[in-house]
Amino acid sequence: MRTFLFFLAAAAIALVLQCSVCPWLPLGGSIPDLMLIICVYLGLHQHTVGGALGAFFLGYAQDSFSGSTLGLNAFAMSLVFVVVYLTSRRLWVENTISTVVLVFLASVIKTLVVILLLAVFLTTTGVWTSTARHLLIEAVVAAALSPAIFALLAQSRRVAEAEDEE
Amino acid sequence: MLEFFRRNRIILTSGFLLLFSLLLVSTSARSRQIRDPFAGILLEGLRPLQVTVTDTLSGLAAVWTNYIDLVGVRAENEALHRRIAELEQNAGRLAELEESNQRLNELLGFRSSLEGQTQPAQVSGRDPGTLFQSLTINKGERDGIRKGFAVLSPAGVVGQVVASSPHAARVLLITDHNSGIDAIVERSRARGIVAGALADGCVMKYLKRGEDVQVGDWVSTSGLDGIFPKGILIGEVTSVSRNHRGLLQMAEIRPSVPLERLEEVLVVAPTARRYEPEDGQP
Repeated sequence: MRTFLFFLAAAAIALVLQCSVCPWLPLGGSIPDLMLIICVYLGLHQHTVGGALGAFFLGYAQDSFSGSTLGLNAFAMSLVFVVVYLTSRRLWVENTISTVVLVFLASVIKTLVVILLLAVFLTTTGVWTSTARHLLIEAVVAAALSPAIFALLAQSRRVAEAEDEE
Repeated sequence: MLEFFRRNRIILTSGFLLLFSLLLVSTSARSRQIRDPFAGILLEGLRPLQVTVTDTLSGLAAVWTNYIDLVGVRAENEALHRRIAELEQNAGRLAELEESNQRLNELLGFRSSLEGQTQPAQVSGRDPGTLFQSLTINKGERDGIRKGFAVLSPAGVVGQVVASSPHAARVLLITDHNSGIDAIVERSRARGIVAGALADGCVMKYLKRGEDVQVGDWVSTSGLDGIFPKGILIGEVTSVSRNHRGLLQMAEIRPSVPLERLEEVLVVAPTARRYEPEDGQP
């Protein structure tokens, strides 16, 4: 239960930071996806149905909070979770460099998937320009932030699980 | 079968969620009327956290902005102070140049009113004591200046050269007690000798008792001493004293030249003459 609450709190904080703090960063309008970092963390360390549901709800919360088309980010997050989950089952991706690379790729994949869904179901007007401008920066920043966030999540999770066991 | 589901439950769940997401996208894209049951809960649930973060961020941003502004204002203030000092210096220099220009123009105009050898010079030093009244000019024998040359300014007589070197000359001022200039009262043409009286200015001596001399009369050079050209202003009579028993009277003269503020002078050879004004004005 405490693990669930821990991820809920982490997701809430990430969502609020992403909405309130990240737009202030001097990144030329690019906003690093903190929720995605949590999703990758779930894919690496939470190999349960709860992890898959968590990834879905991370995306769904993004959709719901941004008021955009429902399911876009939910689909992308779920896909990222599956990719990371399958990768972590076949490759050793526990070190920092692997994590950074994984988050970078996950960010690129998620953006491309969202664009693809937009192109299929909605429109492509202005999407490519925006993507070209922000895709790499967002991926690089998310990758750069990932070691710190992973460490924070791991530490907090250990504390939460220790209290669960007690 | 159950084991298959159990072993692949994560993949199956994810697959189901992916399909569900696609359905959501499809439905949501087709109809914007679709109602999101979690939107309100999410908005309301995250509102306190978001408000706190936003307020904190705004506060920090305000503090930071104020700090930066303050630093900027301080730097700007210092730059403006420096600029003001520079401008004040420039303004002072310009005023100085303007005054100097005016004085030199006057000197030039005065010079053109004289016929003969003339040499403009700048005052480079003053007498270090108070018992003697002299000054040093920056022109000397190399410029043709010799002992006995008259020193004038547009306002009137300054003194005469008493010593010269190749590049400088010493001028005895008319207020020095060794100075003596043959002079006349312009109004009555009364003649006398103007001698120095140090801080009190000058006195006009050897005026005959019967001569008409009044306070406010102007005194100028007579040209008879062979040093100063005729008609150069010396000063104004400020008082007249008559000795009851003597044959003479004496007048105190305030020099027309502000000797203590003099900066440029014109050195005139004894052979120089002043052009007589055509309309008879001095």
